[in-house]
Amino acid sequence: MKQSYDFNIKNIYNLSSVEKDIRKKNLDLFYKSGFPNKKNEDWKFTDLNSILNKSFESITNNHDTNLNKKLEIIKNFEHNYILLGNGKINSSSFKYEENGKISIKDYDQKNIINLNTPSSLTFLNNALATGGFSLEIAKNYKLKKPLIIYNYFSKNLKNKIFNNKNSIILNKGSELTLIDYTDDGSQDNFIKNIIDSVIVKDNAILKNILIQNSKSNGYFYKYIKVFLDKNAQYENYIFSSGLKFNKVEIEVDLNEENSSCGVYSALNLLNTEHQEIKTRINHNAPNCKSYQKIKNVLNDKSKGIYQGKIFVESIAQKTDAYQLSKALILDDNAEFDAKPELEIYADDVKCSHGSTSGSIDFESIHYLMTRGISEKEALKMLINGFLSEVLEKITDIKLKIFLEENLERQINGY
Amino acid sequence: MLKIKNLKATVDSKLILKGLNLNIKPGEVHAIMGPNGSGKSTLANILSGKKGYEIEGEINFNGIDLKELPTETRAQQGIFLAFQYPLEIPGVNTNIFLKTSLNAVRKARGEKELDTLTFLKLIKEKALELGIDEKFLSRQLNVGFSGGEKKKNEILQMKLLEPKLSILDETDSGLDIDALKIVANGVNSYKNKENAFLIITHYQRLLDYIKPDYIHVLSDGKIIKTGSADLGGQLEKTGYTNLS
Repeated sequence: MKQSYDFNIKNIYNLSSVEKDIRKKNLDLFYKSGFPNKKNEDWKFTDLNSILNKSFESITNNHDTNLNKKLEIIKNFEHNYILLGNGKINSSSFKYEENGKISIKDYDQKNIINLNTPSSLTFLNNALATGGFSLEIAKNYKLKKPLIIYNYFSKNLKNKIFNNKNSIILNKGSELTLIDYTDDGSQDNFIKNIIDSVIVKDNAILKNILIQNSKSNGYFYKYIKVFLDKNAQYENYIFSSGLKFNKVEIEVDLNEENSSCGVYSALNLLNTEHQEIKTRINHNAPNCKSYQKIKNVLNDKSKGIYQGKIFVESIAQKTDAYQLSKALILDDNAEFDAKPELEIYADDVKCSHGSTSGSIDFESIHYLMTRGISEKEALKMLINGFLSEVLEKITDIKLKIFLEENLERQINGY
Repeated sequence: MLKIKNLKATVDSKLILKGLNLNIKPGEVHAIMGPNGSGKSTLANILSGKKGYEIEGEINFNGIDLKELPTETRAQQGIFLAFQYPLEIPGVNTNIFLKTSLNAVRKARGEKELDTLTFLKLIKEKALELGIDEKFLSRQLNVGFSGGEKKKNEILQMKLLEPKLSILDETDSGLDIDALKIVANGVNSYKNKENAFLIITHYQRLLDYIKPDYIHVLSDGKIIKTGSADLGGQLEKTGYTNLS
């Protein structure tokens, strides 16, 4: 089955003729190659074109704006929120924060985000992007509570594609914990194609958590481009199990001294779920740190991929870079692919990487069973133990408990 | 309580147990001694229900044919194995493990499952008796524990689950004399007329602290000699090779 596209720029309102032109050019660029396939080195483990061919007859960017459900606020911990409907700001609340410290507005689509490795999805995004948000935190303002971005969608999602761009700026000395929370609940196949631009200025700290509330037939792609200034910290946690398809690309530029970044992931994949995490960490300045820990549990016919590249410029002496990927493969039909890469031009650096994959330890299961615990329960305990290690670095206790419970629900298959 | 008749066990087409007979009654302490490779640990593994063995013969536990029973059901029915090498389970909190285990066993016995507060009170008491620092209970199960700490943790689990038959597989190995005494005291304080012990050991020294009613010598997959507690002392002097 070959799907047909119904991509329409005419339905995007208030465009100047220059903008229309740029969008048309980008759409043409997309049409030249179609959705990425495995011939593209960046997509060698994820042939998106054939994945979409299997599930979509047609794809369109025409969609209505009525949300499929009312906002259900998470009660586990106090937080600010932004509600996005199909990626567009619907409402927001910052009742725990001081006035005038946080700016939130619709994304200005005139701002194209330049990526080092654009794909045809980037062109499609540039052609069709609507909605999206721009969030900016004032200098030295540390948010008192986390911010949850509730991602909701319209009814009749089937065959729809949503393209959004978002911008997040943390000015000097500010702090934010941002939880990107997807609550779909429909059974429809749909696509989400997102580009995030993240700027963390001197001494600012951003923690970004990607999480999924339930199983979803969403096919998600997200490219996060991160710029870090002096002493800036960025951490990204990916807990997005339950999606049919997900590829998260994170590119971090450590542009000034003493900045640091971390990418952490704990995924329990079931059925035919397919998730790829691709990172590129650019050490462009001395004395910066990067840390990556990717953990996957693969059940059934699921597929997990980690492609991680650490790039160290010649100027970036005293770089401390680490990456580790561990996979537990629980079914002969499941697959995990890892491609770690180091490209180093400085001579005084500490870089290490490791990748292991294996099956569950039968001796451990037996040990737990000799204590009266059933085999199924023992397996769950081991999976949970394997994945929950990633949560160690979360210091907010209520948030941590919330994430632990979510992880447990993931392991139980929701 | 436990009746084993003509037990034969094969692993990877190698015959390990070659017709073993053993009868344990409530209130008794049996010790099995024997050289390396005689089949001691195989016996412990088989009683615990470990997979991977081809088994012939009879194993009867309180009227139930054990051979058909999955590992967790054996544990729930009152068989406990203290491991020679307790496993380290990363990411699994000791307290949560102990509570899950205890409640699984209590549920099978038709008892009410314990809530967290009641459980924590109980485990604190039991840990104190064995001189286990509370901090260990909030750590990952056995991860980074010393040999002695792991063995004490096994005895703690035994006292918590209150089994009918406790099998101690080389529990004395890797223990210094103080830890050995604590472990032995743990066993002695739990011993009563209703329960029984099967102690598997290389050496006499654990038996100096836990007095067995019978000592069996296992050699080449069979029990070749059975005697009273005095047999252990003799073996210490003469070794296994002079027996047969």
